[in-house]
Amino acid sequence: MDIFLQQLANGLTIGSIYALVALGYTMVYGVMKLINFAHGDMVAASAFVGLTIYTQVLGQSTSLIAVVIIFLLSAVAMACVGVLLERLAYRPLRQAPRLSAVVSALGASLMIQNGIMLIWGPQMRIFPELIPQIYWDLGGVVVSLIQVIILALSLILMVALYLFVEKTRMGAAIRASAIDQDASRLMGINVDKVIALIFIIGSSLGAVAGLFIGLYYRGITFNMGWQYGLYAFVAAILGGIGNIPGAMFGGMLLGLFQAFIAGYVSSTWADAFTFILLILILIVRPTGLLGERVAEKV
Amino acid sequence: MKRTFRNILLTLCAVAMMAGLSWAETLKVGVQAPITGSYANEGQGIENAVRLLAAQINADGGVMGKQIEVIPCDDQGTAMAAAICAKELVNKGVSMVIGSYTSTAAEAAQKTYFDAKVLQTSDGTADGLTEKGYWTFLRNSFPNSAEAVFAANYMVNVKAYKNIAVISDFSSYATGLAESTVAEIKKAGGNVITYAKIKADSQNFTPVLTNIKSKNPDAIFFAGYYSDGGQLRAQQVALGIKADFIGGDANDNPDFAKLAGSAAKGAFIINVPSPELLPYDVAKDFLKNYEATYGMLPPSIWTLMNADGMRAIVHGMEQTKSFDTKKVADYLMSMEKPLPGITGPLQFAKDGNRIGSSYMTFEIQGDNSYKVVHAQ
Repeated sequence: MDIFLQQLANGLTIGSIYALVALGYTMVYGVMKLINFAHGDMVAASAFVGLTIYTQVLGQSTSLIAVVIIFLLSAVAMACVGVLLERLAYRPLRQAPRLSAVVSALGASLMIQNGIMLIWGPQMRIFPELIPQIYWDLGGVVVSLIQVIILALSLILMVALYLFVEKTRMGAAIRASAIDQDASRLMGINVDKVIALIFIIGSSLGAVAGLFIGLYYRGITFNMGWQYGLYAFVAAILGGIGNIPGAMFGGMLLGLFQAFIAGYVSSTWADAFTFILLILILIVRPTGLLGERVAEKV
Repeated sequence: MKRTFRNILLTLCAVAMMAGLSWAETLKVGVQAPITGSYANEGQGIENAVRLLAAQINADGGVMGKQIEVIPCDDQGTAMAAAICAKELVNKGVSMVIGSYTSTAAEAAQKTYFDAKVLQTSDGTADGLTEKGYWTFLRNSFPNSAEAVFAANYMVNVKAYKNIAVISDFSSYATGLAESTVAEIKKAGGNVITYAKIKADSQNFTPVLTNIKSKNPDAIFFAGYYSDGGQLRAQQVALGIKADFIGGDANDNPDFAKLAGSAAKGAFIINVPSPELLPYDVAKDFLKNYEATYGMLPPSIWTLMNADGMRAIVHGMEQTKSFDTKKVADYLMSMEKPLPGITGPLQFAKDGNRIGSSYMTFEIQGDNSYKVVHAQ
């Protein structure tokens, strides 16, 4: 039972990181029907930006305020990059065939990845121990402070996002643009603004996830975005791509699934099972676990 | 008209010959190393060391009059990129290749160099590297099997651990070291409670560690690289696993302690003596020059091992007065007197293995420095 609970705690931690990244994929897909392949690399970039803010701007201060500032500044920086990315790489192609936009997304992904390599170098960079290593032993299950922070902050962000999308006027505009962009425009919604907004939200959530990776695992490499991007993409599809609660659910589910497979079957097979799960979901429920069956628009 | 044409032809011939001569005048040395990726700081160390040696040799007049030209190729520590590098370096006409850092990458390139009669020297410790009968391969480090004997003896007899968990990744080096260590532990009468594998670079090792925790090991032996080892150690401590951590030789890199953070203290690493412990004058000179040129010390002993490999081959060429790689290899594999190396006496067996090994166990201190706790 201890092992089960411990794997549960591990799975939820990594799952909430996947969920945050998956939200970025799913929101962009929901409105633009575009898979933003550059999102994973934005997550990696945020970890490097956070590290630079720590060493250059904050002078290696380790107080709680410093950590908060790193999160805020990185989120703002990545939101700017996200908006810029949309302006330069996606907006000019909005009327183009979908394949052009996908190729543009792949190009943007490579550009960001190589940009990180050129700026911060090809070697692994190491995050400082900003969160003190505090552990609680709850009857055999050990939970660390950083795990609690990751889980709590992710849940708060996800609930806030859910309320924002469901309860506010801007949220209604996002939902409307996701259903039909032309009709939304006729109703007086500025779709360009909505798209900029989802890039701001998605990139900031990705930035938080990138910093979590840096703080939790400590080692960051320029090409790590690909791996997290891929898992988060799978998570988004599991939950139903385009569906916001689906991405949260899919991320948590994938984290738990990987933890239990690695724990009870074999870590060798964790990746294989991840993609077997993906294929099964696509066969049985092509729209994802929480996705609704919608007719393809013509 | 005819004459001008002939003159032009003659001039062209002369130019071509001169070009050919100047072309032949450099001795091309390939560096195949992981210059980017997870093991980048090791790869860059190897390239730096080769460039430093080349500059020194060139300043002294080169190898029998030939200046050394260094041609690097980034294999990212992967077999796929290594195979491409091997072809590229052979096409560029190198006569020796230094590297690579990982056994996997060295192994993937071996056949290409063998077919092209290009000498290769790598620090790869996988036993398989010298078991293929390629006369072109010289190992500048010591094989896993030698380390496994030392590690097993240390864990079973010196530390008297009852239950040992072994973890490795899937690379040639790590599985080789883990399998030989498991066998040696059993031979020494120890008990291996589990042998688990992790995927390199996957960062999340807690599922595997959680399983190991339930088996209550006294020690965890990790055969794998520092970039995973540091994170593994941090996650081990975070999960409250009280076992001692013993890392194999590839954990010997300053990044291990940085990644593990406050968990680094008390971890053990088994390797040959680290650069600053080398008593030899050649070593002290080399380290001084390296620091003066690059503003830092080499990342680990592997940089120096590869530098020694290059020194051995150059020594072989000078002794045999020949650039014929077969002659050089035959000479090196039958030297009667060892060449004083940076990392100790350099001598090779007939199969290309380096002879003589001396291992040590280091304990990482609170300030991330090493303390020698056991030596062979």
